[in-house]
Amino acid sequence: MTEPTVVEPWVAAPLKRLAEDARLISGVLLHPSGRAVGQFGFSKAADVMSICALTSAINASSRELGRQLYGKPFYEMHHAGGDRQVFMARCMAGEQEFLFVGVFDRESSLGMVEIYFSEFQKSLEKLRPHTEPTQPLPAGDFEGELNRSLDSLFGPIR
Amino acid sequence: MKAPAEVVSTLSHVPGVAAAMVVGSADGLIVEASPMKGAAGGAPDTRKHTAALAAYLYSKVSRASHAARLGTPSFMRLEAERGNICVVGSSDVVLVTIVTAEANLGRVRLDMMKAVREKG
Repeated sequence: MTEPTVVEPWVAAPLKRLAEDARLISGVLLHPSGRAVGQFGFSKAADVMSICALTSAINASSRELGRQLYGKPFYEMHHAGGDRQVFMARCMAGEQEFLFVGVFDRESSLGMVEIYFSEFQKSLEKLRPHTEPTQPLPAGDFEGELNRSLDSLFGPIR
Repeated sequence: MKAPAEVVSTLSHVPGVAAAMVVGSADGLIVEASPMKGAAGGAPDTRKHTAALAAYLYSKVSRASHAARLGTPSFMRLEAERGNICVVGSSDVVLVTIVTAEANLGRVRLDMMKAVREKG
């Protein structure tokens, strides 16, 4: 497995452990705004950029769908493809909210991913820096915020 | 195999069985589970973890068994310090029992094998 690349160093160890224990092929940890925080299994910034944008949009849609259907937002999603499966969920570290999306195949299972994801959440809670959360950027700066985090993960595009 | 609720109820009454579960073999999620006997009040519920890991382990054991040209494993037992985990496969699900160290393992094995053979 490739080592995770991270924007915030404190998420590296929990992300590595989650990838190894749950036998994930790839995964991205991001802010709900779409800004990447860490990733493993990807070599291209463009792939991570697409995943962040899609995950952020799916999260917003599924929350609203949950509210419409049950009066409560959906926080976890699983899609079982023929060969590969996608797990998407939110996690909290103090007041800070994150989204995680991971891909796995028959070398793992949803049950395994769920149990190790709950351990990952506990690790984030334990290791989180006890500082005030950064002020969210204006909503219109989605692209700029995404590009800045991708530059941190993969280096600036030349 | 009979209905999961019936299988779990039958197996949980076998002496020495602390918990019985029917678990999806592909996803490792609990389909039906009996309460954990002898668990201290307020102790974390470990059945979900046990189910996922036991199903995963059984799939790896199946691969090893096929690699050795022995076919599908009929019964798997993991012996630990304070008891055993027993697993029997049945098409899309696996039966998992958490068994105390003092249990009659022959009886547990027989009842688990019978549970997967019986038609619902």
